[in-house]
Amino acid sequence: MTPVKWVYSFLKKYKMKMAAGILMTTGIAALTIVSPYISGIIVDDVIGNGITDLLPVMIACLLSVTLVKGILRYSSQVMFETCSQGVLYNMRDTVYRKLLQEDFNFYNKNRTGDLMSRQTGDMDAIRHFIAYVIYAVYENVLLLSFALLMIFTVNVKLALCMLVVLPFTALTTYKQSSKVRPAFQLIRQQFSSLNTFVQENISGNRVVKAFAREDYEIEKFNRENDAYRDAELNASATWKKYIPVFEFLSNILTVVLMVYGGYMVIQGEITLGNLVTVNGYLWMLTMPLRMAGWWINDIHRFTTSAEKIYNTYKQEPEVMMPGKPVEHKRMDGDVEFRNVCYHAEDADIISDISFKVKQGQTVGIIGSTGSGKSTIMNLLCRFYDVTSGEVLVDGINVKDLDLYELRDNIGMAMQDVFLFSDTIEGNIAYGRPDCSFEQVKKAAKMADANLFIQEMPDGYDTIVGERGVGLSGGQKQRISLARALLKDPAILILDDTTSAVDMETESYIQQQLKNIQRECTIFIIAYRISSIKDADLILVMDKGRIVEQGTHEELSKAGGYYEAAFRHQYGDFRENVTEA
Amino acid sequence: MARNKYDVDEILEDKFDINQLKRLAGYIAPYKKQMAAVLFLMLSASALGMLIPRFFMAVMDVCIPQKDMRAIWTYAGLTILIALYTCISLRIKITLMTRVGQSVIHNIRYDIFVHLQELPFSYYDERPHGKIQVRVVNYVNSLSDLLSNGIINTITDLCNLFFIMFFMLSINVRLTLVCLCGLPMLTTVVVFLKRRQRRAWQIQSNKQSNLNAYIAESINGIRVTQSFVREEENSGIFNRLSGGYREAWMRAVKFNFVMFPSVDIISAITTSFIYVLGIAWMSQAGSGITVGVLIAFTAYIGRFWQPINTLASFYNSVLTAISYLERIFETIDEPVLVKDKADAYEMPQIHGKVEFKDVTFSYEDGIEILKKINFTVKQGQTAAIVGPTGAGKTTIVNLLSRFYNVDSGEVLIDGINIEDVTIKSLRRQMGVMMQDSFIFSGTIMDNIRYGNDEVSDEMVIRAAKTVCAHDFIMEMENGYYTQVNERGSRLSAGQRQLISFARALLSDPRILILDEATSSIDTETEILLQQGLARLLEGRTSFIIAHRLSTIKNADFIMYVDHGGIREIGSHEELLEKKGDYYNLYMSQYDFLKN
Repeated sequence: MTPVKWVYSFLKKYKMKMAAGILMTTGIAALTIVSPYISGIIVDDVIGNGITDLLPVMIACLLSVTLVKGILRYSSQVMFETCSQGVLYNMRDTVYRKLLQEDFNFYNKNRTGDLMSRQTGDMDAIRHFIAYVIYAVYENVLLLSFALLMIFTVNVKLALCMLVVLPFTALTTYKQSSKVRPAFQLIRQQFSSLNTFVQENISGNRVVKAFAREDYEIEKFNRENDAYRDAELNASATWKKYIPVFEFLSNILTVVLMVYGGYMVIQGEITLGNLVTVNGYLWMLTMPLRMAGWWINDIHRFTTSAEKIYNTYKQEPEVMMPGKPVEHKRMDGDVEFRNVCYHAEDADIISDISFKVKQGQTVGIIGSTGSGKSTIMNLLCRFYDVTSGEVLVDGINVKDLDLYELRDNIGMAMQDVFLFSDTIEGNIAYGRPDCSFEQVKKAAKMADANLFIQEMPDGYDTIVGERGVGLSGGQKQRISLARALLKDPAILILDDTTSAVDMETESYIQQQLKNIQRECTIFIIAYRISSIKDADLILVMDKGRIVEQGTHEELSKAGGYYEAAFRHQYGDFRENVTEA
Repeated sequence: MARNKYDVDEILEDKFDINQLKRLAGYIAPYKKQMAAVLFLMLSASALGMLIPRFFMAVMDVCIPQKDMRAIWTYAGLTILIALYTCISLRIKITLMTRVGQSVIHNIRYDIFVHLQELPFSYYDERPHGKIQVRVVNYVNSLSDLLSNGIINTITDLCNLFFIMFFMLSINVRLTLVCLCGLPMLTTVVVFLKRRQRRAWQIQSNKQSNLNAYIAESINGIRVTQSFVREEENSGIFNRLSGGYREAWMRAVKFNFVMFPSVDIISAITTSFIYVLGIAWMSQAGSGITVGVLIAFTAYIGRFWQPINTLASFYNSVLTAISYLERIFETIDEPVLVKDKADAYEMPQIHGKVEFKDVTFSYEDGIEILKKINFTVKQGQTAAIVGPTGAGKTTIVNLLSRFYNVDSGEVLIDGINIEDVTIKSLRRQMGVMMQDSFIFSGTIMDNIRYGNDEVSDEMVIRAAKTVCAHDFIMEMENGYYTQVNERGSRLSAGQRQLISFARALLSDPRILILDEATSSIDTETEILLQQGLARLLEGRTSFIIAHRLSTIKNADFIMYVDHGGIREIGSHEELLEKKGDYYNLYMSQYDFLKN
């Protein structure tokens, strides 16, 4: 499908409205042709020849034509605008839904600012095209054809002669079209780039200030800002060559009529009256010609933006919903990894991971930074798909499960806490928007968040900033934990969720996890031994492989990574305890 | 904190403030010359353009009856010359006016961006980022049409209007007055619409801002959304916002659509009056109105209303633009709370003595986060801050970098009150590693170098080695030149922390602040890291906030912070001795071994 066809597929829904709009525009064009006649009659007959009886009728005609035209103009504009807003609404919805389906690989490739540009700036070019360009071009083509037709009926030779400008018009159109396209593409690209830069600057404002790099940011901003302006100037430098040519050609029409028309009258081929008539139609030819260059710009702006949006839209996620998913709404939480490998960006992220957990068990995962701990969890949730091997939940390959059902059964508190700019209650209830306040509060209590939330000025109604700014790291983690707990999941994943909370809070939270009513499988990724010591199975990861596995008792004496970490964190325990 | 979220409209100004247009004019003022040149060209072109119909008339009235082809050719030649002149002046107009328009946009955007850099954290914390962004990018762009075409066309047409009025007056005063009767009618329409139209456009810009905020958040929070299976719910919210935007747009644009038909109809009404009165007055002796006068006059009526149409459309764009302008200027006017004093001087090279004297601080009035905090850190010492979450640990170090101003009390570095020195000179000498490790899109090299452009690649690599990041960076496909994006999603949280750690080190800080800098880093790496750091920190003052007590044990002294005050202060051993809060906290980490 081409981008334009894609846009058309949205427009189809508004066929009737568009047709009505076109019909009204036709009416407007007809009235536009009629009204000079009325004025003509008033001037020639009523004033010139003194037939004053005609005046009331003619004035009534004039007023009613203007009124009808005004009403038609207003309604048709509203009609086209409605269609264009409808198309935009549906297009935004479609693109938004697609964005929600895209997998992590897509988001790793595409920058936020670029994706935002598709939904905002690019959409605007489409709005302008549907709401304005379509009817403006149509109306003028109507007038042009009518005028040509009339001139042909007056005299074919004169009409043909006036068509002399046609090849020049075509040539200019062709040239402008081929030249402005790349220029508009550049504008869109720079717009996107500027948008991305500004977006990152805003998101990273803390780092910018901490490093006192405002000047550096401003310098970088200047480059983006200049580049965008230059792209606009570059485009205008291109089209400024053509638009005046159209203006010139429109004046040439007058010259042709003057010279050849005058010659024909002198030769007696047409009458002077004929010439006056043709001159009366001239504006219907020159006006579209004058505007042509601008419309060519509009059309190319439209196609460039449509292309940008469509190219984003058509990227298919690699993680797809199975054609016929296995029906399995309520999962138990047995998890098995069989020889799982995940390969990305020319590197093995994890290799040969195998382990098995039963419902209700707790798995602790520990290991060096970047050893692939979070990747294991991402594969379980199918944020990525395995390169080889199998991930099974309740004995079913996750690729065969309904993607949404799978994720609905997993509660995840992520390493990098993202909160939405919403109330705390809204954030905790994110996965269960319909739940009661009591449930929210219960989950918050389990995550030891209730107390500090209640101390806030608006309690649960306090609005937190995007990414949870304004809250401390530990507070964010606890809200994120409450959010995961509220889902009452079959599988609970705590990815480094307690790294920023103090020890007392952590042990309280661990107690609470034991009290979860539903028997749920828990994965805990942590660096602190205390977080995972009680796990039924501990996996020690290094460079994408499981290097040790067992229980705390086994591993703390195994002489490996685990024991070393244990000693480092708690080696002085004995001496301190004896001191105490 | 009165925070704003994606579905809350921002507060609207009620009155139409002409000052906003004056400020805009201030941006245009530097381009007076270009504007004047364009104006001259356009006016001359339009005056010359008025000659063409006259030539045509001359051809029909004189040349053809005289069968004078030569004269016709002369007129044709003159027309071609005028056409050429118009063509060239149009070309110059496009060049100059695009330049003026884009430069004004460029300058406004520069001002808003520069101002944003000065605004404190709280500004960013109080509203969705998408709402700030829409002002810098989309709103500013929305002015382009007004600036590139609107103003010049309007002035040109105003001049045309005066020309025509002059012609009309020269033909007949009475008829001109009748024609002018249309203007009060038009004014009535405009006044009637103004309030509503303005409101409608304000609401529209608000809805656009809401939608933008939601899109930004949706993209940034996509992982959470997917893992919580919120797609349907979010689509619903999105469509609600998107529908709200559509509705607001339609409402606003309908007011604009009323304008043209109104002008048309008023023009038809006045024209009718002229016909009726003109014919009536013709029979009156001494009215000076003859058939010829009336016919000549009617030829001008159409031309009188044409520029008014352009003016109406300009008026529409101004009302639209104002709703964006007030948002833009509002941001530019946002007071900068943390700023250099008038007599601020450069912070001399920091030695590293830090003192807090009776420091009290609150984010919001009445809720004190810190109450009369006092402590002194000597040059080269490492101070650790511990305490429950939300106790104010991060606040203390934020005050040190002067991200906020203290309510009362003083923060002194080397005996200098940090409010007396320039913010930049202060922050340049501090290395802060924050809880959130933000990664910019670009290469890893650029990210580590962020604090300091002048450092060589070797120094970047050395810093990366110090923080144990070198190995994993080298394992990536392009090593230090691997592209990462702003969500840093290709990197694990620990890796992001290491990179921002390296970034903090590379700025060669005199005071280093590590706020949960190693929470997501494994123990083994941490041991190596601490060894590397120990060498590096020699002679530098540092602050460490951490929950893993193994990280802070070796600090020169530890402050236990709770309920806005320092409860305990002393070395690890001293505090254990004391058997207070720190002792309990320390022992609690072994609780799990006791069962």
